[in-house]
Amino acid sequence: MSSVPSDIPAESEGRLSAPSFSSGLTVPDFAACLQMGLEPVGLVQGYCVMKWSFYGAGSPYMRGMGAYQYNTQQGAYSESYQCPHGYVGGEHISWGQNFEQTMVEAAWTQGFTSAYSRLLEEATEAGGHGVIGLVDTVRSLTDQAVVEFHLLGTAVVVSDAPGPPDGRPWTTYLAGQRLAKLVEAGFMPVSIAASMASVQVWPYCMTEYYLRGQGGTYRWSPQYATSEIEQLSRAQMAVCRLAREHVRAQLGTDTLYGATFAASDYESSGGPVLEATLRGNRVRRFKAFDRLDPPRPTVRLT
Amino acid sequence: MSGPESPAGPVDLKSQMARAAASLHDAPAPKASAATSDLSIDETLLLHSIDWEPVELVFGAAVVSVPGGVWNWGDGEIVQASDAHAKAIEVASLHMDRQCAHVHGWGVVGVSVDVAIHSHHIDVRLLGTAVRPTRPKPTEKRQFDNRGGFISDLSARDFVLLRQAGWAPVGLTFGTSFVYAPRRSAGTVLQQKGQNVELANLTTAMYSARESAMERLQASALSLGGQGVVAVRVWEGPVSFAAHAIQFSAVGTAVRLEADAHQYCQPQVVLPLDDSVVQFDATSLRH
Repeated sequence: MSSVPSDIPAESEGRLSAPSFSSGLTVPDFAACLQMGLEPVGLVQGYCVMKWSFYGAGSPYMRGMGAYQYNTQQGAYSESYQCPHGYVGGEHISWGQNFEQTMVEAAWTQGFTSAYSRLLEEATEAGGHGVIGLVDTVRSLTDQAVVEFHLLGTAVVVSDAPGPPDGRPWTTYLAGQRLAKLVEAGFMPVSIAASMASVQVWPYCMTEYYLRGQGGTYRWSPQYATSEIEQLSRAQMAVCRLAREHVRAQLGTDTLYGATFAASDYESSGGPVLEATLRGNRVRRFKAFDRLDPPRPTVRLT
Repeated sequence: MSGPESPAGPVDLKSQMARAAASLHDAPAPKASAATSDLSIDETLLLHSIDWEPVELVFGAAVVSVPGGVWNWGDGEIVQASDAHAKAIEVASLHMDRQCAHVHGWGVVGVSVDVAIHSHHIDVRLLGTAVRPTRPKPTEKRQFDNRGGFISDLSARDFVLLRQAGWAPVGLTFGTSFVYAPRRSAGTVLQQKGQNVELANLTTAMYSARESAMERLQASALSLGGQGVVAVRVWEGPVSFAAHAIQFSAVGTAVRLEADAHQYCQPQVVLPLDDSVVQFDATSLRH
């Protein structure tokens, strides 16, 4: 977590220690949580605004004369593509590359983790054992390079249970009956898990031709057949795989349930950029559980 | 599920929650294997009820080129665009199949199908959860060995219901056709001016695209060994950047009867007693 701002404002400290609670739970969720012995102690939030500032002149992502080597050295995803034509001319795009934008991913992770840590800090201050009904929003502010991370949830105390082992509250996107069902099924929420993957595509000549509708080995030759644009297909696969791998790295031997995956892309000056985020509930089995009887189908008489 | 622990009577949620929270003090089981899934806990429990479990989030993606000039005015089907669409689905499905096999899944359920059509390329992205039986029966094993994995856009709930009825999904089927809506002649335009008339060129194009797409859907199901297709979704209309080109797409899950006969699920009739409360509407007094 970055050091600025790291403290909960004095006003918040006062509010969180007051003998009343606030909660982001709906009334049905509130009722279900009380039934489970979860007592809300406060609505807690964490914010972080990040600026992406490594694009542009002098950045390591500027397309140079040859493939970008840094990623390969760091063990990150990178694939290079070579022109099949031989020498054509000075402006011919003789090489291309897909590479993982580790600095973008690191910035996203820093923003998310900072907001998350601040939320946990508030929850700890309020005396919460866990945070339920978490809602996280990531949105662009002012322009694409400024991103706000906002996490919001309800800190709760578990009746007749010890606090979390390291004092760090457990977290989950679930609340109410969904959370009750999870616990009944034998799973305890450990934390939320979230990751982001970013892949920059620097198209080489063949990809460029296809993207302009000039498919084929030679752009001047008439080509009417369709063809897989391998560089883009592989980039799409890579961005999904990376998002999954990043989340898996947070799981240990736990399980991720209720994951949501979102993908997007945009055009940068160098070519397409593909991004994907994956979020879900990291849960751990705490008891053996008898499987349900096969469910019985019903028809409503309404 | 890891073992029996039959709760006697209603579950005491409060004590369960306290026990769950206390369990965080214990070290996680070292032999447990991590799984990822976009299924909800309800869907996961449903899968467990028929001895299946989620294994891993899997995906497939493909980008296929569309040659330049194919969206210009013409007549009949836009073959290259239809081919590109079919190829993109095929390649993405292949990638997903491989991933499923890699994680030892027997199939993928709840697949979301995301198709983006651009003037020079068609992008397809599939995302779903690989699943497998926890205690496969010998007959199931034989069927899987013969047939291989399946991809299905059915939800876990529908998958469970389908299996209870004795059927099994065999794969994702797709049929798409792009057809030119021919221009009306100058004479026709003049004749139809100021009249309420059917634009037969558009209707014909729609029917033509529909017929080709549904034929492809059917052929695809048969090639997978399916006896039919369930939960077919269709979308049709002009292509966003070429209004004279009509698209018709149909997607569904091919299914095959694996039991000796269809099993009737015998739904139980329920009468909900939670009708919404009729509230007094103050604005009604204004009239």
